[in-house]
Amino acid sequence: MSLTQSPTATWDTIQNVFYRKEEVYTMSWRIPDLSDYIVTAAKNGGPIAMIRDERKVMLLGKHTPGKPKIYIYASSGLLLNTLTWDLSPPVLLHFTSQYLIVLSDEGVYRVYDLSNPTGYRQYTLGSEVSEVGVVEATGWEEGLVVLTGSLGWFEVRGWNGGRPTPLSPSGLTEPPTSWTLISPDQSPTGHVQILFSTASTIITLDALERIDQRVSRGPFAHIRVSPNGRFLALVTATGSLWVVSSDFGRNLSEVDIAALSEGEGLPEKVEWCGDNAVVLAWGGRVVVVGPAGESLRYDYPPAAHLVGELDGLRVISSTTCDFMQKVPDPSLAVFSPGSSHPAAILYDALDHFERKSPKADESIRSIRPELANAVDTCVEAAGREFEVTWQRRLLKAAQFGRAFMDLYNPSDFVGMAQTLKVLNAVRFFEIGIPITYDQYSSSSPTLLISHLVSRNLHLLALRISQHLGLRPDPVLKHWAMAKISRSSSKGVDPSDRGAGDDEAICQAIVDKFEREGEKGVSYAEIAKKAWEAGRTRLATMLLDHEPRAAEQVPLLLQMKEDKIALTKAVDSGDTDLVYQVLLHLRSSLSPGDFFHLLDDSISPNLRPAVNLLQMYARQADRGLLRDFYYQDDRRTESATLEMEEAAQAEDGTERIEHLRQAAKYFSESKDRVFEAKMTEDAQRLLTLQQTYERELDNKFTFSGLSVDQFIHRLLIEGFAKRAERVRSDWKVPDKRWWWIKLKALAELRDWEGLEGFAKSKKSPIGYEPFVTHLLSLNPPQPTHAANYVARCDLKSRPDLYVRCGDWGKAAESAKERGDKARLEQLQRTAPNGIAQREVNEVIKRVGK
Amino acid sequence: MASTSSSPGPSRLPRQAAHLNQPPPAPSTSGDSESIVPPPPAEKGPDVGLLKELAKSALVESLNDIQGAKTLILEPALAGPLGLVTEVALLKHQAVDKMFWLEPGPLNVNARNVVWLCRPKMEFMTIIAEQIRAQQKNPSSSGPLMYTILLVPRATELCRKVLEDQGVAGDVTISEFKLEFIPMEDDLLSLEMEDVARDVFLHGDDTPIYYSSLALMTFQRAFGLFPRILGKGDGAKKLATLLQRHHTSGSSQYREIEPSEQVDSLIVLDRSIDWVTPMCTQLTYEGMLDEFVGINNSHIEIDPALIDPSQAPPAPSPSTSNLASTPITKKRKHHLSSQKDKLFMDIRDLNFAVVGMRLSKVARRLEGDYGGVKNLKSVSQMKEFVGKLGGLQSEQQSLRLHTGLTELLMPITRTDEFNKNLEAQQNLVAGYDSQAQLPTLEDLMYQQVPWQTVIRSVILMSLTTGGIKPKNLESFKRDFLQVYGYHHLPLLIALQDLNLLVRSPPTNPQPFPSLRKALRLIVDDINDAAPNDISYVYSGYAPLSIRLVQCVTQKNVILSGTVSGDEDGGLGKQRVLPKAHPIVGWKGFEDVLASIPGATVDVRQRGDQTRREPTVPSDDRTVTTVVFFLGGCTYTEIAALRWMSKQTKGRRFLIATTGIINGNSLVESFGDKAPVPLKQESS
Repeated sequence: MSLTQSPTATWDTIQNVFYRKEEVYTMSWRIPDLSDYIVTAAKNGGPIAMIRDERKVMLLGKHTPGKPKIYIYASSGLLLNTLTWDLSPPVLLHFTSQYLIVLSDEGVYRVYDLSNPTGYRQYTLGSEVSEVGVVEATGWEEGLVVLTGSLGWFEVRGWNGGRPTPLSPSGLTEPPTSWTLISPDQSPTGHVQILFSTASTIITLDALERIDQRVSRGPFAHIRVSPNGRFLALVTATGSLWVVSSDFGRNLSEVDIAALSEGEGLPEKVEWCGDNAVVLAWGGRVVVVGPAGESLRYDYPPAAHLVGELDGLRVISSTTCDFMQKVPDPSLAVFSPGSSHPAAILYDALDHFERKSPKADESIRSIRPELANAVDTCVEAAGREFEVTWQRRLLKAAQFGRAFMDLYNPSDFVGMAQTLKVLNAVRFFEIGIPITYDQYSSSSPTLLISHLVSRNLHLLALRISQHLGLRPDPVLKHWAMAKISRSSSKGVDPSDRGAGDDEAICQAIVDKFEREGEKGVSYAEIAKKAWEAGRTRLATMLLDHEPRAAEQVPLLLQMKEDKIALTKAVDSGDTDLVYQVLLHLRSSLSPGDFFHLLDDSISPNLRPAVNLLQMYARQADRGLLRDFYYQDDRRTESATLEMEEAAQAEDGTERIEHLRQAAKYFSESKDRVFEAKMTEDAQRLLTLQQTYERELDNKFTFSGLSVDQFIHRLLIEGFAKRAERVRSDWKVPDKRWWWIKLKALAELRDWEGLEGFAKSKKSPIGYEPFVTHLLSLNPPQPTHAANYVARCDLKSRPDLYVRCGDWGKAAESAKERGDKARLEQLQRTAPNGIAQREVNEVIKRVGK
Repeated sequence: MASTSSSPGPSRLPRQAAHLNQPPPAPSTSGDSESIVPPPPAEKGPDVGLLKELAKSALVESLNDIQGAKTLILEPALAGPLGLVTEVALLKHQAVDKMFWLEPGPLNVNARNVVWLCRPKMEFMTIIAEQIRAQQKNPSSSGPLMYTILLVPRATELCRKVLEDQGVAGDVTISEFKLEFIPMEDDLLSLEMEDVARDVFLHGDDTPIYYSSLALMTFQRAFGLFPRILGKGDGAKKLATLLQRHHTSGSSQYREIEPSEQVDSLIVLDRSIDWVTPMCTQLTYEGMLDEFVGINNSHIEIDPALIDPSQAPPAPSPSTSNLASTPITKKRKHHLSSQKDKLFMDIRDLNFAVVGMRLSKVARRLEGDYGGVKNLKSVSQMKEFVGKLGGLQSEQQSLRLHTGLTELLMPITRTDEFNKNLEAQQNLVAGYDSQAQLPTLEDLMYQQVPWQTVIRSVILMSLTTGGIKPKNLESFKRDFLQVYGYHHLPLLIALQDLNLLVRSPPTNPQPFPSLRKALRLIVDDINDAAPNDISYVYSGYAPLSIRLVQCVTQKNVILSGTVSGDEDGGLGKQRVLPKAHPIVGWKGFEDVLASIPGATVDVRQRGDQTRREPTVPSDDRTVTTVVFFLGGCTYTEIAALRWMSKQTKGRRFLIATTGIINGNSLVESFGDKAPVPLKQESS
C-alpha cells in the first residue's frame, strides 16, 4: 500500500453504506486451490488449519501420498505446524481460543493444545455414536454438537472428555438440508440449541424440546446466525436470501439471488460480514449482499474461504488474506468524503497547520465546543486503521486537538497508543495475527498472549504482558517447558543424560523467574514436563522449588516417590489430597508395603494420613481396618471396632460373638483390664437376658437392656427372684438397688410393697427420694408420699409436707423443731381454706 | 437467564465488596417509648449478608447449569443450613419439581435430571451409586436420566474414587456447591458442620480445618486480609498455617488479597483448649433453649400453639388433667432470628434468671400501649395508634412465644436434678470441695437422669481437679455402664483419649486449676440483671475460651475486672464507653498461654505491595475482630462476646464457628451410634 493512497481507496458502497476491503497479507504459502481442503480458521485473526478433502478426486502427484496431514498456518500463510492424522477421515476441524479440535467420522476426537501439538488428548463420543458414525459436526468455544448417522444430535460440553448427551429426538427420516448451532451465550435458554431445516420448515431443538418454527418457505440450503445472535440469514432452495430476526418474528430483507448466481445455482458458502451484510460465495467469487439486493463482487480464483468475525469478514484465498467490514463509525466520521464531523475538521486542521496555513486556526475555532468529541473520534478512528501511517496521523490529529483543550483525560489516548503498539506487533506478517481493535477489545489480551505463547513467541508475549501490566507467569511457564523439551530433543550424550545440563537448565529457569519477579509460576508443572521428557533428575531439582505441596504430589506419585508424595500431601493440609495418595498407594502397593509405609513408629509425621486411612476404612473397607489394627498391634482399636460392630449386629448370637472378640482384644492389652472385664460382663448380661427370654417362652424382651433397666423390667414383670439374681451377679450397690426398686414399685403402684420395702431396713438413699419420687409421678401421689416424710430429716420435713399439700403436718413439724420463723412463714404462704386453718391451729397450740 | 456470562464461581467475588457498606435494612417501626432494641452500633462491621448472597447465587448457578426439570435429593442434615440461605420457593424457579431426602432405597423419579445435594461423604456416594444402578436396570419411560451430584462445599477425589469403584463414575456429573459461612445473625457466621470436634480432636481427621481455611479465605476475599492472626491450640495453629499458605502461595485469587481496613484481626480458638465451658450447663436464655429444647440451624421445634394460638388444641378442662395422654400435636419449626424478632434479640443473651422479669415488663408496657386506646382524644392520635398497632401485634406474638418457652424451661430449673447438678458444676469449676461432688453426681446417676448430664459433670470434675482418683473413677465407670448400658464403653475410652475423663495423677497436664486465678475465671459478685462481667452467662464462671479472647482484646478486664482499667467506670447513666485498645497480641499473658497445652499463634499478614500499619481503632472508627471457633461454640460464648462488643468503643466482635454445639451434642458425638434393636427370635 503506498503512502499516498487515501484510506478511502478501499471503500465501496452498498446503498450508501460504506464497506471497505483491505488486503492484510499476501500469502506466503503455495496452495493453488483451497477447495481441495477442509479448511477452518480461528476467530480473531487466529490461525488456519486444513486437511486434504478425501472426498475430492485429485490429480496424481498433486499431493504427497501417505497418511493425511493437518497443516496449521498463520493468517499470513506461514506454516506453523504439521500434524499427522491417522484416524478415519475428519468431519470437523474446529478452533477454540486455546485448542484445535479434530473429530473423525467414527466419533473419535482429539483436542490439540496449539502450543504442543504432539501432546493431544483423545476422546471418543461413545459406542452409541461410533456405531452409526458422525455425519456432520459444529463446534463453539466450549463444546461441540454432532449429527450422527441415525440423524440424532449429541452435545459434548467442555474439552475434558465429557459424556456426550443426546438432544431431543429430531424426528428426521432423512438428513436435514442444513443446520446450525446456537451457542449458549446466544440462545434464549442459556443452553445449546440447534436450528435445522427440514421440509419447508425450521425446527429448534435443544436437550428438552423440539419446536417447529412453522416457517413455510423452506427447505433452506443454508442457515447462518449473525455474530450478535440476533439475525438469521437463510438461503432457500429456490434461490432467495432471506434475513430474519432469530425468533422469526421480523422479516428484515429478502433478496432474489438468482441474478447474482450467474447460473451457478445456490451459493456454496454463506457468511455474515459483521452484523451488517451477508456474504455469499460461489467458488472464488465472493458477493456482499445489502438488504435491498445491491451487491459488491470480489474475485478470488479459484476458491476463497470465508471467516466470519465479530466486526467483519476475513477472506482467505490462495494468494491473499483480506479483511472486509462495514466502515466503522469513527473512520467514517473522519474520512468520509465531505464529512463535516468535527473530527474530520480537526484532521484537516492538522494538515493546514503543517502547511502553516491560517485555516488551521480557523478550523479549530469552528469546532471548539466539540473539540473533545473530535479528539476522541480521532483516537477511536486510529484504532480502526491497519496502516500504521494513518494510525500515526490520526493520533497526531488527536494530540493536536488536545493542545487546544483546558482539560483532557489522556487515558483513552494513552490506552489506544499502547494497544496499537501491541496490535501492530502481532499483525506483522511473520506473526500473522490480523486481529482488529474491536476483536481485541471483545476478547482479552490474555487470550492473545496465550495464542502467541502457543506459537512459541515467548519474548514477544512476555514484552506484551509487561507492556500491558499483566502477570507474566503463563508465558514464563510455557517458556520453561519449551526450553526443557527443546534441550531434551537435542539429543544429549546418552551416557550422561545431560547431568551438567540439568543444573544449567534448572538454574536458567529459576534465574529467569526470579528476574521477572514472578512467584506464581508452578514449578511442579514444569517439573512434570521434565519428567515426561525422561529427565528425572531435572524434575526433582525443579520440584524442590515448588512452594505448594499440593502441586508436587501428582508428579511425585508418577515418579514413584511414594513416601515423599504422602509426606507432601500431609504437609499441604488438604485432606482430600492425602486420600488421593492413600488410595493410589493402596491400589499400587502390596498390603505389607502399604502398612509398612504408614507405620507411624517409623514416620510419626504421617500420623494424619494414618488417621484418614482409618476414617476411610471404617466406612469403606472394614477388612483393611481390621488388618491394619492387627498388624499395628492396636488392640484397643481392634476391640472398639468389635464393640461398634456388636452394637450394629441385629442377631443376638452375632452380637455376643463380637463382644467375646472385643473382650479378647482388650485382655491382650495390659492397660485394658477394666475394659476387658466390662466387655465380658456385657457379653454375660446379654447371654443371661437371652436365657431368661427363652425360659419365659419369649414372652418378654430383655436383650439390649442395661443392668438397671433389666432389673427394673424384671421387677415390673414380677420376677423378683431373677431380679435379685442379677443384682447379686452384677454386685449392684445398695443405693442403686434401692432406687431401682423404689421406682419399680411406684410404677406398679404397689403401695404396700413399697411400704414393706421402706421398712425392710434403713434406706441407704434416705427417705426423701420416696417422697420426691412419688410426687414426681404422673399423677402425683401426695398422700402416699406424705407417709414417708416422718422418716426424713427433721429439718426438711416442713418443706416436704408442704409439697405433699399437708399444711397441718408441715406446721406440726416446724413446731417440733421450735422453728417459729418457719411457722409464721407457713401462715403467710398457706392457701386459704383448710390449709390456712390447720396452720393456725398449730400456731394457736404453740401460743399456749 | 438470558445473560449468563457464566464465569466460575470464585472469581465472581467482587474485590471492591470490602467497600460496600450498604445501609442496614430499614429499622422496624416500633415507635415505643421504652426502647427494647439497643441502639444500633455507630458503625456496622462487614456486611455478612454478602456471604449469604454468594451462597444463594452459587446454588442458583449450579442448578441452572443443569438443563430441564430436576428432582432434587437432599441430605437431611443440609436442609437446615440450606434453608438459611435460600427458600424452597426459590428452588422452584430453578426447575426443581420434586425434593426427596437422601436415604437408601430406590428412587422414584420422572424428571429428566436427578440432582443429589450432599456433603462429600463416602456413605452418600454408596447410596447414590446404588440408586443409579437400580434406576439403570429399570429405565424410566421418559428416556435416560441425567445424574448430577452437587457436593458441599467442594467435590473431592475421594468421592470420585468411591463412585469409580462402584462403577457409576461415567454416568454422573460431579460438581460442587460452595456453601461456606452462613450468616446466622449480623454478628454470627457458622459453617453449620456437624461433629467437627469429634473428627478433628478424636479421630485426627483435619478435613474440617481445611474447609474452614477455605471459608476464611472466601471471607478475606470479601472483606480483606486479616492483618493479624492470633490463636491457641494445635488445630488453631494448623488453620493459621493453612491461611498463610493460601495467601502466600495459593492461587492468584488468594495472593492478591489486600489487608482489610475494617477487620483488625482473627482470633482462632480450637475447642481442645477449653472443654470446661461446653460441659457446664448454659444459663442464658438461648443457651437454655438449646440445652433443653434444642436449637438446630437457628430453628427450634415447638408446639404450634406457641406461635399461633388459633392452633391450640381444645383447652382441656382443668379436672381432666389426670389423663396422661396429652394429644400429640405435630411440632412446628420456628426460626429464631433477631431480625424478625426484636424481643428475642433483647433477651436471648440474658441470664435466664432475669428473663421472666424482662418479659413481664414488656407485657406491662404492651398492656399500657393497648390500653392507650381509651385515652385517644383526637383523630390524629387515633391514626397514630393504629399505625403502631401492627408493631404491637408482632411484639405481642413474640411475647407469647417467649413467655411460652420460658414457662417450658422454668419447671426444669426447679427440679432437684437440675439444681443438684448445677450446684455440683459450680462447686467444681470454683474448686470448692471438689471431691464431695462425685457422690452427688453418682446419686443423680442412680436416679437415671439422662446419661449426658452425668457424664458432662463428671468430665467437668476430671478437668477441674486434674483427674479422678483411680478407684473412684473405676467404680463410677462400672456403675455408669451398668446403669446406661455397656455400649457406652467406647465413649469412655474416647473420653480418656481426649483427656476428658482421666485418673489422677494425670499423664498430661491439666491446666484448669491454675487458670482459675490467672484468668480470674471465678467471679463472685455477679449481677445477673446488670452484668459487669462475662461470667454472668454461667452465673459466676467466666468461660475460659472468652477470657482468652479478652487476653488479646480487653486485657484490663482480667487484671482489674473493668474494661477501662479504672476502678468503677461509674454507674451513672451516661457511662462513657472506654476505647478499645489496639491488638498487641498475647502480650502480658505469655505465661498463662504457655501453661495451656497446644500451640500459641501470633502472626501478621501483609499484602502484596503496600505495607500498612496495623489498624488501630481510632475515635471515629469501629474495627471488627473475628473470633473463629474451630470445633464449635456454645450460645453462652456467643452471648459473652456480644456483651463484650458493648463494653468498649471501637471494637466489635464477629463470631465465626464451625457450628453451634452444647455439651450434650459434644459427648454424644464422641460415642458410637446407639445399638440397633436385636431381631427377635420367633417365639
